[in-house]
Amino acid sequence: MRPLPFAWRSLSRQPARALLGLAGIAVVGALLFDMLMLSRGLLVSFREILDSTGYDVRVTATEGVPGLGPPLEEAGAATDALRALPEVAEVVPVRFGSVSARARDGRTATVALLGTETRRRGEWRVLRGGDLAQDDEPPQMVVNRTMAEDLGLAPGSPLGLASGLEPREFRVAGIVEFPFETAGESMAAVTLAGFAQALGAAAADEADLLLVASRPPHGGEAAVAAIRRLRPDLHPFSTDELLERLRQGEFSYFRQVSLVLSTITSFFAFLLVTTLLTVSVNQRLGEVAALRALGFSRRRIAADLLAESALLVGAGGALAVPLGLALARVLDAILRQMPEVPHRLHFFVFEPRALAWHGALLGAACLAAAAYPAFLAARLPISATLRQETLS
Amino acid sequence: MSVPVVEGRGLAKLYPMPAGPVEALRDVSLAVAPGDYIAISGPSGCGKSTLLHILGCVDTPTRGDLLFEGRRVLALGDGERSRLRLTRIGFVFQRFYLLPMLTAFENVEIVQSEARRPAAARRERTRELLAYVGLAARAGHRPSQLSGGEMQRVAIARALANRPGLVLADEPTGELDDETGEQIAALFDRVNHDGTALVIVTHNPALASRAKRRLYMRSGRLVAAPTQADP
Repeated sequence: MRPLPFAWRSLSRQPARALLGLAGIAVVGALLFDMLMLSRGLLVSFREILDSTGYDVRVTATEGVPGLGPPLEEAGAATDALRALPEVAEVVPVRFGSVSARARDGRTATVALLGTETRRRGEWRVLRGGDLAQDDEPPQMVVNRTMAEDLGLAPGSPLGLASGLEPREFRVAGIVEFPFETAGESMAAVTLAGFAQALGAAAADEADLLLVASRPPHGGEAAVAAIRRLRPDLHPFSTDELLERLRQGEFSYFRQVSLVLSTITSFFAFLLVTTLLTVSVNQRLGEVAALRALGFSRRRIAADLLAESALLVGAGGALAVPLGLALARVLDAILRQMPEVPHRLHFFVFEPRALAWHGALLGAACLAAAAYPAFLAARLPISATLRQETLS
Repeated sequence: MSVPVVEGRGLAKLYPMPAGPVEALRDVSLAVAPGDYIAISGPSGCGKSTLLHILGCVDTPTRGDLLFEGRRVLALGDGERSRLRLTRIGFVFQRFYLLPMLTAFENVEIVQSEARRPAAARRERTRELLAYVGLAARAGHRPSQLSGGEMQRVAIARALANRPGLVLADEPTGELDDETGEQIAALFDRVNHDGTALVIVTHNPALASRAKRRLYMRSGRLVAAPTQADP
């Protein structure tokens, strides 16, 4: 009988203890798996959202966050210059603002307003109605679901937008979903001309952000390099650079928390299995000594315990995956209730590498957990133990 | 003259204790010939089990030399000694030490599996041995479903599984009633008659009386005959 079936039979001697151990590993493993998903979840989710826009380079005037820093001056000329680069396929200037919106029935809302050109890629996704059209009268706009619901809007609805005293009338072309809209936030997009009309004084040749799509096969990094060569005064970021900034900045807290909790949960898994196996070995010292007397080698005794550890950790770890996924849904839903979190952003994201790390960490815990009881059993003084067991 | 199965020369064993070392064996020399049947008796703590464990290569003497089938055991590493025990020595314990999660069949088979005997051969050998000890019908039973005598018979079958040259038994009837002890003694007679050398440590005079040679121990030494205080 090889170590694995032997270990299975050994565990089945104490089914209640084995099941409790299995449940313990499954719970600890689920937490470990969740922490591994959390460690990169925000970055993976954020990348998915960024990629969904269809633009892989963002250009700003400064290192600051787009919309919070100073705008890019002479945006039209910059846009044209970048469009002429062979590494660049598309450039779209974007403006950010905040306006007050008033529906016909008098309902009002504060709206995060995007000024841009007509949709080229994934700036938003049309859910209902039509898309934003250039040069229409009254100017068109697309609004998100929250705004449509709050103000009772539908495609074709008229709406007044104002940043000062005098509102300007717009017409809703469609209901859309923006990649970065947050829960409960009213958001709308208009053309750059419409943006100037809605915000009055902000009609200058400015942009808060240039969205750039690289031309295949050059890629984002080549486009960034070309932009830096052409316009050293601008600040282009590839998606990777942007994510790296987030990784070192805003998202680093989650990574640190997940690192600490992953370490603790791995240690718990190790302690749990070590305790179970050590207790098990101590309860059958006579049996182990007898097996050694019968000719079972130290290596075989150690292999039996390692196999027991592997069975416990393997089965518990496998159960931990669906348990962890279910728990991650609950935790994700709680965390996404935080204010200012884009509703498409997730904290816990499944990745094959998280599963691989989960397996590797539990594997290491399994090996480490078996080490002490295996040492104890393999180094057992056979003669003294048999004598002691006979006397007891 | 044939080579002894096992031969101890000038064996001594000292156990370090806080109050000073205890000498469990003092200059014991003993040769077990093929087909021999030796019973060792003596009062508790006289060194019987220590001697048996040294002869069985599970313990090492503090002084002296041990030869198993002509090989110096003390020169062997732990792995080689394990292999020697597995293939050439059978053990029978007072407390049987059958694996409770395995059936009688599996308990006999597992030592052959560890010795890497082919599956078909070990199944055949196991069936043969269980029939030999009269338990063919109990092959599928676990130790918890067997009586003490049946467990000891399974343990004897296990000891014989790899066709050892020597079987060592430490108080094999210590946990059994007289009648069952008698059955086990008869089984040992048969094992020895079939050519396996036996060394049995026992307090049971009936079992000891069946041996070809009776040895007595007192205070770590082999002595000629028991005193009145000895069993």
